[in-house]
Amino acid sequence: MNKDLDIYVLIKQVPDTRSKAGVNPDGTIDRAKAGKMLNPFDAFALQAGLNAKKMGGPNSRLFAVTMGPPPAIDILYQTLEHGADATCILSDRRLAASDTLATAYALCRTLEYLFKKNGRKADLIFCGLQTTDGDTAQVGPEISERLDFTQVTYCEDFSISDNLLHAKKIIEGGTQLVSAELPALVTIANSYTKLKFKSLRGAQFVQDVKRASKEEQAKYVEIIDLDKCEADEMRCGLNGSPTIVSKTWKIGVVGGNCKMHQGKAASELVSEVFKDAVMLKEFVKI
Amino acid sequence: MSNTKPRIEYDLVLVGASPSNLTLAHTILGLAEKNPEFKFSIAILEKAHDFGGHIVSGAVVHPSIFTKAFPDHIKDGMPIEAICKKSYVSLMAYHEKWDIPSILTRAAAADFVKEGYYILTLSNVVAWMAENLKAKAAQVSNVKLDLFPGFPAMEIIYEGDKVAGLRVDRTGNDEDDIVYSKLTCFGDKGFLSKDLIKKYDLETNPQIWSVGVKETWQLAEDSENIEGKVWHTLGYPTLDGTLGGGFIYGLKNRRVTIGLVISLDSSNPNIHPQKQLQEYKKHPWLQKMLKGAELMHYGAAVLPEGGYASLPKKFQVDGALILGDALGLLDVKALAGVDKAIESGYIAAKVAYEALKANDFSEAKLSKYQSSLMASPYMDKFKENRYFRKAFIENPELLRDYLPEVLSSIDQTKAPVLGGLKVGVQNPFKATKAFLRSASLLNNAKEIKEEVVYKPGYQHIDPNFNKVLMDRCHGGDDFAKTTVYSREDAVFYANTRYDEHPSHIDEFNSDTCLTCIKTYEAKSLDVPCVSDCTAEVHRLDISSGNIKVHAMSLENCVQCRTCELICPEQNLRVNPAYAGAGPDFKGL
Repeated sequence: MNKDLDIYVLIKQVPDTRSKAGVNPDGTIDRAKAGKMLNPFDAFALQAGLNAKKMGGPNSRLFAVTMGPPPAIDILYQTLEHGADATCILSDRRLAASDTLATAYALCRTLEYLFKKNGRKADLIFCGLQTTDGDTAQVGPEISERLDFTQVTYCEDFSISDNLLHAKKIIEGGTQLVSAELPALVTIANSYTKLKFKSLRGAQFVQDVKRASKEEQAKYVEIIDLDKCEADEMRCGLNGSPTIVSKTWKIGVVGGNCKMHQGKAASELVSEVFKDAVMLKEFVKI
Repeated sequence: MSNTKPRIEYDLVLVGASPSNLTLAHTILGLAEKNPEFKFSIAILEKAHDFGGHIVSGAVVHPSIFTKAFPDHIKDGMPIEAICKKSYVSLMAYHEKWDIPSILTRAAAADFVKEGYYILTLSNVVAWMAENLKAKAAQVSNVKLDLFPGFPAMEIIYEGDKVAGLRVDRTGNDEDDIVYSKLTCFGDKGFLSKDLIKKYDLETNPQIWSVGVKETWQLAEDSENIEGKVWHTLGYPTLDGTLGGGFIYGLKNRRVTIGLVISLDSSNPNIHPQKQLQEYKKHPWLQKMLKGAELMHYGAAVLPEGGYASLPKKFQVDGALILGDALGLLDVKALAGVDKAIESGYIAAKVAYEALKANDFSEAKLSKYQSSLMASPYMDKFKENRYFRKAFIENPELLRDYLPEVLSSIDQTKAPVLGGLKVGVQNPFKATKAFLRSASLLNNAKEIKEEVVYKPGYQHIDPNFNKVLMDRCHGGDDFAKTTVYSREDAVFYANTRYDEHPSHIDEFNSDTCLTCIKTYEAKSLDVPCVSDCTAEVHRLDISSGNIKVHAMSLENCVQCRTCELICPEQNLRVNPAYAGAGPDFKGL
């Protein structure tokens, strides 16, 4: 039997990939207009956290942490439906326009605040590989450096024994098996097990929490700001972000002319396509 | 969460977020509001990922039921597509369409006059009902209302002879999977209520089902504005003798919804519902309407058509009530079911509230539900129209022989008169008899007391069906390709979404399928489940040894349940899928 583990999952709310996102005149995403969802990569990290909790002792705990504007509380509730024990959101206007360096700093302060509150350091931190709106894949590794945790990236499967994490990670041209000492930070690849549907009890529990008093809600969804986690505001948001987006531009028309061929037998469709597409004839013998 | 796990229990559990069940919840919250001391809990289980996601209906509904059950529906922003300004009943020939003069419709088919009715997209109305309910529940603190979209009820749990709860998940731990209830209300479309009806032997007549296929189109900017216009059509393309008809509803924002309803108690083993809908759109009149239009949604669902004659013996058993489609409240002659479904929820709310207060959920205590519902003015017409199906079942020549004759006269002379005369002259005795008999069944129900006996749809299927009749369902080749979609392409517009490896349709015995395939192959016919599937689920694969076997692409399934109902061997069962998987009919 493994010892009790304290597991943290870092998640982010991103614009819904299925909804049409607005674009601001300066080329950035208009987040207020877009529908929102849990970053699809983080869903794998959440499943990893849930699985790790089962591998640990009976009093293992799973915490979900995010940073973002208040509507991001929705994704914390989602993690509670799936079986997280408690969650925390760092929400502060001074965090606007954070790049990966500032985000990693602010999340580190949040994690350290939570370690103190929960009485001990994390054993495992799971992150998604990257986000669908930033695509940097930097924040996870940056946090592990700051916390001085062992770092395992691109993990697609793992087990835990004797305070060791045994992970199968993707490397160029193959896979690598590594054993790492806990505490460790693991970024989970999207080839890991898909997030299972929420449980009935979880769905029931979250509706109870949403009906409960503010104090009761805070036990499960804690909202903190920079002051609460003792972060230096000069290292957060725009102030703490050395990255400068000087210009964004379109790299040409995507899609181009597309003609639909339909409503006929396959053989007729194929000859129709060939009649139109002169270019194709150069590549295919008819 | 604590480690000790109590049972998941509610006072009231509603199976399916149907109009009937959501009305029940809305009404009971209103009753509870007046008595804040009395506390109870409600859970609503819904198989779709979002409320309204699995709802397909026309729908043209009389406003009075909304005024009764949702007095504030206008103020609260219920989505209404249009108010019907003009309704037509039309005979569709291959090339022409003949609108029955309104004076005749009013005299002979008053049920089809829909002027002043709401035209609704029921999926949107159900989504609105659910939102409205959430807002209301926040105000009524003595009721705990939990909503569970994505959690289908899979199995009924009994304690003795009483309905005690539902299996909602299959994790393997009963304590996590079962929702226990004091009172369970079934408002589903037969997925689970059929088990209840069987267990308590409540069936009087087998339910007759029909399948409805439907599309919503965005019309071209310069198209004629048809908002508020309603057409119900008889004739092309359902000309194989099967009872069926089309509907076209003009919605706001230049949209139109086009659908076809075909009865499944047909002798034709290959109805091809989706294909017939495409044939329907090939009609010159619809071709003109759809010029430059764009398809938005496609969907399909089955409708209980047995009506009054198929009502269960009892609408309640110990610990459970049956509502809406589970009861079969569709009046197919009046083309109205939503009103009675809402009425059933409205009445059930009062009965359920009394039962909760008395803490008595016995059949005796609940029986007031049946008597009140049967006494409702909404049921009068339903009873009056109880011989509608019988009229056509007894006189199959009406649709099979005489209707095509009348239609061909419409094609030739733009009026049905000559065709009608021809039928009369050629079959003086037989036709007159059939007309008089059916007219009497349709119009003099008050005086007639006759037994109605139905056979389930699959028992009608005839492998020796006349192929000439089948060929009648095809129109001409003069149509715009953009208006017609193959079944594979149509599935895309149903927005089906499944996790890997769905397994929600059971095939009980593969040998049975082999025999069935051989039967239909020998007659050069398609196997019914393959031809009549409204999505692209059932197919035949060639297995080793060159044997054709039944196979399914479940990720295409729109969960209409047609295959289960028409399987000649009753070898299939469609269960609700896990985790809210399936189509998304919102906006259809």
